[in-house]
Amino acid sequence: MSSDAVAIRLDRVTKRYRAGRSRTIVDLVASAVDRARGAEPDVYSAARGRTSAAIVALRDVSFDVAEGSGLGIIGANGAGKTTLLKLISRVTWPTSGRVQVAGRVVSLIELGAGFHPELTGRENVYLGAGLFGLTRREVDRRFDDIVQFAEVERLIDMPMKRYSSGLYARLGFSVAIFSNPDIVLVDEVLAVGDASFRRRALESLRRLIAEGKTVLFISHDLWNVRRLCDRILWMDEGRVRASGPAGEIAEQYMEQVNLRALANQNTALESHRRGTGEIRYAAVEIVDRSGRATSSVREGGALTVRATYDASAPIHAPVFQIAIVDVDTGMTVATATSSRDDVPPVVDGRGALECIFDPLLLRRRQYTLRMTIADAQQLVSYDVVTAGPRFAVTAGAGGEPAEDEGFVALPFRFEHRARVLSS
Amino acid sequence: MTTASAAARPLVDRAAPIEPAAYVELLMNITRREVKGRYSQTLFGVGWAIAQPLATMAVFTLVFSRLANIVADVPYPVFAYAGLVPWFFFLNSVNSGTMSLVQYRNIVTKTYFPREIIPLAQVSSRAIDLAAAAALVALLMAYYGIGLTRWALLVPALLVLLVAFTVAVTLFTSAVNVFYRDVSPVVQIGLQLWLYVTPIAYPLSKVPLRWRGWIAANPLTGVIEGLRAAVVYGREPDWALLALSTVLTAIALAGSFALFKQLDRYFADVI
Repeated sequence: MSSDAVAIRLDRVTKRYRAGRSRTIVDLVASAVDRARGAEPDVYSAARGRTSAAIVALRDVSFDVAEGSGLGIIGANGAGKTTLLKLISRVTWPTSGRVQVAGRVVSLIELGAGFHPELTGRENVYLGAGLFGLTRREVDRRFDDIVQFAEVERLIDMPMKRYSSGLYARLGFSVAIFSNPDIVLVDEVLAVGDASFRRRALESLRRLIAEGKTVLFISHDLWNVRRLCDRILWMDEGRVRASGPAGEIAEQYMEQVNLRALANQNTALESHRRGTGEIRYAAVEIVDRSGRATSSVREGGALTVRATYDASAPIHAPVFQIAIVDVDTGMTVATATSSRDDVPPVVDGRGALECIFDPLLLRRRQYTLRMTIADAQQLVSYDVVTAGPRFAVTAGAGGEPAEDEGFVALPFRFEHRARVLSS
Repeated sequence: MTTASAAARPLVDRAAPIEPAAYVELLMNITRREVKGRYSQTLFGVGWAIAQPLATMAVFTLVFSRLANIVADVPYPVFAYAGLVPWFFFLNSVNSGTMSLVQYRNIVTKTYFPREIIPLAQVSSRAIDLAAAAALVALLMAYYGIGLTRWALLVPALLVLLVAFTVAVTLFTSAVNVFYRDVSPVVQIGLQLWLYVTPIAYPLSKVPLRWRGWIAANPLTGVIEGLRAAVVYGREPDWALLALSTVLTAIALAGSFALFKQLDRYFADVI
C-alpha cells in the first residue's frame, strides 16, 4: 500500500518563540528605539516586543515523511518534538522555512481538547469531530463506531463532566481516529487510559498505517515507538540528531541515554536511600564480561553487578538482595543470597560481592537495580537503594525488533508438524 | 482498501479549507457550547437577557424622560427599550467576544480550524438573547397600543447590518486581545462611553446640529435609528443615514477580517 508519495515535507524550518510573554509600554518603546537604530526586526510583525529574548525551538529542520508510513519522534524534553507537530497541524507557523502537508491532518496533542464538560458525550462527539472538519452527516455515519471504540455507550447522553478522565481521553482518541484523517499526529497521549485501551489505540494506529495513512508518533516509550513505526526521527535541542530505520536510531538513542545515565550513577546511589544503616552498600557497578563498567548489555550477553559494602558492626547472616526492575512497567525479578552459602555467616568492615548473570535472559528494555541488605529473617532493612544503576539490554547480533511483550527472555523453541493426526 | 492512495495528494502550504457545511456546523456547535455553558445551572436562564435591557430602560425612563425631559413621539419606555435591545446584543457580543480566543486557548493551541469561528460563535450565541429581548418589544408595543406597519419588513435587513458591524468589532478586539490583554478593559470603558454617543436614550433629531455629523458617523446610529423607525414609529427610515452605516460597516468588516487573518497564525504562540 505504501507508495513514493510524500505526505509531509519540512524544508529548512526554523521556529522561534518569544521568551517573555508580557510586553509592556516600556518594552514597546525600547523595541521602537531598537528599530530606529536599525536593529533586526522581530518575527512578530503584529506584536513586537524586545527582539533579543527569543527561544529557538527548531533550527533548520528538514525531512520528508512518506505516505502510508509511521514515523516515531523521540528526544529529550524540550527537543522540539511537540513544536514539530504543531507546525504540521498548522496550529503555529514557522519563523522561516516551509511546511507542506498533503491531505487532512488530525492532531492528538491533547485528547478531547475541544470537549466541553457541560455538553453530553453525544454533543461533544459532534463538536470534536467538527473541529477536525467533519460535517454532521459524516459524523452520523461514524457515530456508532466512535462510541463503540471508546466503550462509552452507557454514558453517551450524560454531560461529560460526569466522565472519568480516562473515559474523556478515550472518547477524544476515538473521535480523532474516526475523523477520516490522512495524517495523524500523536503526542504522548497514550499515557492515559488503561492497558487494554492503550493496546487497542496502538492497534488502531497500526491499522491506519496499513490503510495507507501517515502517522507521526511522539513517545518516550521506545518500545511502543518501535512497534508502530518503521522509521525514527531523533530530535535534540531543536535539530534533527539522526533519522533512519527505527531499530538503528533507537539503538543510538539508547546508547546516548545510557552514557548519560552512567555519568550520573554515583550521585544517583545517594538519593532514594532508606534503611537502618549498620551495613550499607558503598559502591555499585555494572560490568561486562571483560570487567569494564557498562550500562548496556547485548541480548543474551552477560552482566555482573559488583557491589562493595561497609559494615560498622559485625552483622550476622545478612541477606543481600539485588532486584532488576523494568523502568517502564515496574516489573521485577529478584535474586537474594539467603538460601545460599555465598556470604559468610558474619560480615564486618568492608567487603565486596558480585552477582553474575550469564546469560542475562532479559529482553531489550531499560532496567534499574533495586538493592537491599536485610537481616536473616528479613525483618530489618539495613540498607535500601531504590534507584540503583541503570542499564539497557540492546539488540544482539540478530537485530530483528522484538515484538513480544514482557521482559524476561525465556529460552524456547517452536516445533511444527505439517500434519496433525486426529485420534 | 483505499483506492485513493493511487492518486497522490498534492503537498500544500496552507491548511486544507474545510467544507462550507462543516464550517457552519462547527459554528453552530460552538454556539451551542456557549449557550449551554452560559445558562446551565442558572435559575432564570435566558430571562437574564431580558432583565438587562429592562433594568436600563427603567433607569433611562427615570433619568432622561423625567430629569432631562427628552420627549419622543412615542411612550418613552418603548422608545428606550427598542434602542436598548440591539445595543445589548452589540455590547454583550463584543464583551465576551473580546476574551473569547483567550478563553478557548486550550483548543487554539492544540488543533487547527478557522479561528474566526470562535469570536463568531460569541456573536451568534447572543442571537438567542436578542430574540428573547425582542419578544418583549412586541409586548410593550401591544401594551401601549402601537401597531406594526409594512416598514417592519425592513427589520431582517437591519439586523444583518447590526450583526455585520458587531462581527467587525468583535473580530478586531478578540484578535488584538490575544496580544495585549489591555484590550479587554479598554473595550469595557469604551463601550460605556459608546452607549452615550449612540442615539439610544435620545433620538438623533434632538442632537444639536453641529454634533449630529459625528453621531451619524457611528455605524450603530443608522442601525438603531433605522430599527426604531421601522418598528416603533412604523415609518420610512433615514436612507442617507442607513447608507452611511452600511458603507462604514462594510469597510470595518473587510478591514477587521483581513487583520484577523493576518494575525491568526501567531495566536497559538502568544496566547
